Amino acid sequence: MVAIPRNNAEGGAGDGVRAGVGRGLEVDGLAKSYGGVHALSGVSLAVRPGQVHALVGENGAGKSTLIKIISGVVSPDAGAVSMNGTPIPLGHVTLSQQAGVATIHQESTAFPDLNAIDNLFVGREQGMRRGGLLLDRRRMREQTIAALAELGEHVDVDRPLAELPLASRQMIAIARALSQQCTVLILDEPTASLSEPEGEALFRAMQTLRMRGIGMLYVSHRLAEIFALSDVTTVLRDGQVVAHRPTAEFTEASLIQSMVGREIAPLVPKSAHDTVHDTPSDGATTVTPPARDEPMLLVTGLTREPAFRDITLQVRPGEVVGLAGLVGAGRSEVARAVFGIDRQTRGEVRVAGQTLTPGSVPEAVAAGVALVPEDRQHLGLVLPMSVRENLLLVVLRRLAKFWIRPRAIERTLVQELSASLAIRPAGPDLRADALSGGNQQKVVLGKWLATKPRVLVLDEPTRGVDVGAKAELYRLIRQLAGEGMATLLISSDLPEILALSDRVLVMRQGMLAGELPRAEATEERILALAMPADIALRERVAS
Amino acid sequence: MIAELWLGTLRDVAVNAVPTIIVACGLTLVVVTREIDISVGSAMGVLATVLGLLVSPARFGMSLWVGIAAVLVLGAVIGLVNGALVVWGKVPSIIVTLGTLTALQGVNALLLHGEQITQLPSALRYLGVGRIAGIPVSLYLTAIVVIGTMLLATRTALGRRLYAVGSQPDAARLAGLSEVRLKLFVFAFTGVLVGVATLASVSQIAVIEPNLGRGFELVVVTAVLVGGTSIHGGRGSVVGAAIAAIVLEGVRTTLILLRLGESATYWERAIQGAFILIAVLIDLLVRSRRATVRRA
Repeated sequence: MVAIPRNNAEGGAGDGVRAGVGRGLEVDGLAKSYGGVHALSGVSLAVRPGQVHALVGENGAGKSTLIKIISGVVSPDAGAVSMNGTPIPLGHVTLSQQAGVATIHQESTAFPDLNAIDNLFVGREQGMRRGGLLLDRRRMREQTIAALAELGEHVDVDRPLAELPLASRQMIAIARALSQQCTVLILDEPTASLSEPEGEALFRAMQTLRMRGIGMLYVSHRLAEIFALSDVTTVLRDGQVVAHRPTAEFTEASLIQSMVGREIAPLVPKSAHDTVHDTPSDGATTVTPPARDEPMLLVTGLTREPAFRDITLQVRPGEVVGLAGLVGAGRSEVARAVFGIDRQTRGEVRVAGQTLTPGSVPEAVAAGVALVPEDRQHLGLVLPMSVRENLLLVVLRRLAKFWIRPRAIERTLVQELSASLAIRPAGPDLRADALSGGNQQKVVLGKWLATKPRVLVLDEPTRGVDVGAKAELYRLIRQLAGEGMATLLISSDLPEILALSDRVLVMRQGMLAGELPRAEATEERILALAMPADIALRERVAS
Repeated sequence: MIAELWLGTLRDVAVNAVPTIIVACGLTLVVVTREIDISVGSAMGVLATVLGLLVSPARFGMSLWVGIAAVLVLGAVIGLVNGALVVWGKVPSIIVTLGTLTALQGVNALLLHGEQITQLPSALRYLGVGRIAGIPVSLYLTAIVVIGTMLLATRTALGRRLYAVGSQPDAARLAGLSEVRLKLFVFAFTGVLVGVATLASVSQIAVIEPNLGRGFELVVVTAVLVGGTSIHGGRGSVVGAAIAAIVLEGVRTTLILLRLGESATYWERAIQGAFILIAVLIDLLVRSRRATVRRA
């Protein structure tokens, strides 16, 4: 890693030539909520000229929202952003760019069908016109080659990006931002898909920019990078700034500590198999659970490049296995493959000893697998339909006698499910989109419980759910485990993983990074496994 | 002798393909932005009727220039209506333009009352039969449209932005591109080109009747897809569409020359359909090949 001389002073650069003398980028009191959930509240920070300002936080802490507001993609509910004292009108990408903000976004900002030249210039072709309307292709071509060469990238600039390797595409996105005449550069996890040498090239480019007095807001999960590159660090947690100090005052352990924040004790201790309730039994096929120690779900060597590879795990009846990891580690993709939405390229999924045909959802459902997906509004519910219809959606065919729906049985089933799930407001005829997030999630869960599944895969079951409904969902998950359900719980909410799991598996960059038994699992250890940091750090935190 | 015959046939084929080529230029850009316009045939019918009513000495008998201006402006208006419904109404363009296709057919029937307009000013005929240096006037016009649209697509900021929006709408938003404005433009542009194609078409056939333009949209869509434009947007060539239009017209001419009689039309349809399916298959192959390249 390239060591960059740092400027610890809050006020700005102490060395180098400074072009954009001034106060740099100032963010004041930004707030944004999505459907009642606060993504950001009262966030203020400043990126001074020639300064690298690191922004860290757990998944969902609000980093991406903050960046989208500064770059004009999203409008905030409250707050202001200014450049050298002049306010920037928010919610307009072009105006933010004109004010001097350049952004390297986390998600791919590349156009796969266009070549590198067009990818670099589209949207800001001003000054590239020759004479009247036509663009000066030759000059654009030369500048593209030069901009990429500066990053050590030598690709065929005339080929569509779709035909180039992923890392080259990311370098082209970076070159696009760097070639903009910017005062402040925002980098949202730019190294996530880069190899070591490409990362180094980026860091060298950042050093050059710093010498020119350009301020940078740097988001990364790689702690080693934060410490090597940044002057100051701001820690976001639950949409708020919880720490803001010169980076040198943090240690790696104290940084993780402040990202995790809360008192590190599980919200609710996992109780033993408590009350067993009666699940609705009408119509659904009866399932005899196999012996306790046989794995109910057995996944071996599951691979689907580039999302994940060699995933081997098992879940026994009555067991809750937590699957932790950063966003993009491949957890949801594993869930999709287990459920048959995506077809794996290698490996197999067995449920109660029976091998499932890859890529077949009907077979997974028939074998007793249920998936509560991450995006419940799109994938879990039919929003304009009633709670009743949503609850009966999957079990409909099984209940029907000669294609005629047995009303009485359906009514009993819906009543039982609504009662045991405590869906509020209680009214099976309400439209699903009238419910709160937590109660919608209960409906999704109930829809699958009606099929009497043996394996339950939960993907971020409580994201955007209020505290009360969260507690009820926890109770349900534990109760189901008590009845013998094999549960695979994917969650970015570490307290949730700790509260519910018997074992915790951690994924990092598409691979299993480790397994922690319940007694040894802590937030720090999970994070240390999940983050692509250096090995020494991981050992230090884990010991 | 043989060469002359060949050149003559090729010229006739090209002249017959003129309306298809002109509209295919616009439709290529529409498809590049992930939209479609299947109302171009009906629009041509209405525009032809309006042209006839305005300039025929038996009707209003106005100046040809008024007729030309009206056709071009009205074409743009039809395109803008399509575009507005797509970008603001958030209705898929296939549905919107299916609606306008039907509505415009109705309007055309109301305007024509099932009659024909045959008396047209001779100046209009010049576009259809006139020649400069031995080459039909309409081919010059077509060349201007093709080259102009090609330059627009590949050499202007606007054109590149159209490809960007079609290639990756999310990234286009992050780059500050206005999807609304770009899509309104492609629909309006196509509308204007339908106007131009109407002028060329009417000048050739010299008769305006209720069925003019019917089924035209199928030929144009086929030419665009066979010309290498991806139905998934982001990729497409104006010149490719023009060549495809000539090839399709060549197939039609060949079928007529084969003296299949009645069944020539059926064969034409079947071959057209096969062309579309092959084009879609090729697009699929290109895309899956890219996916493997990326993984390597």
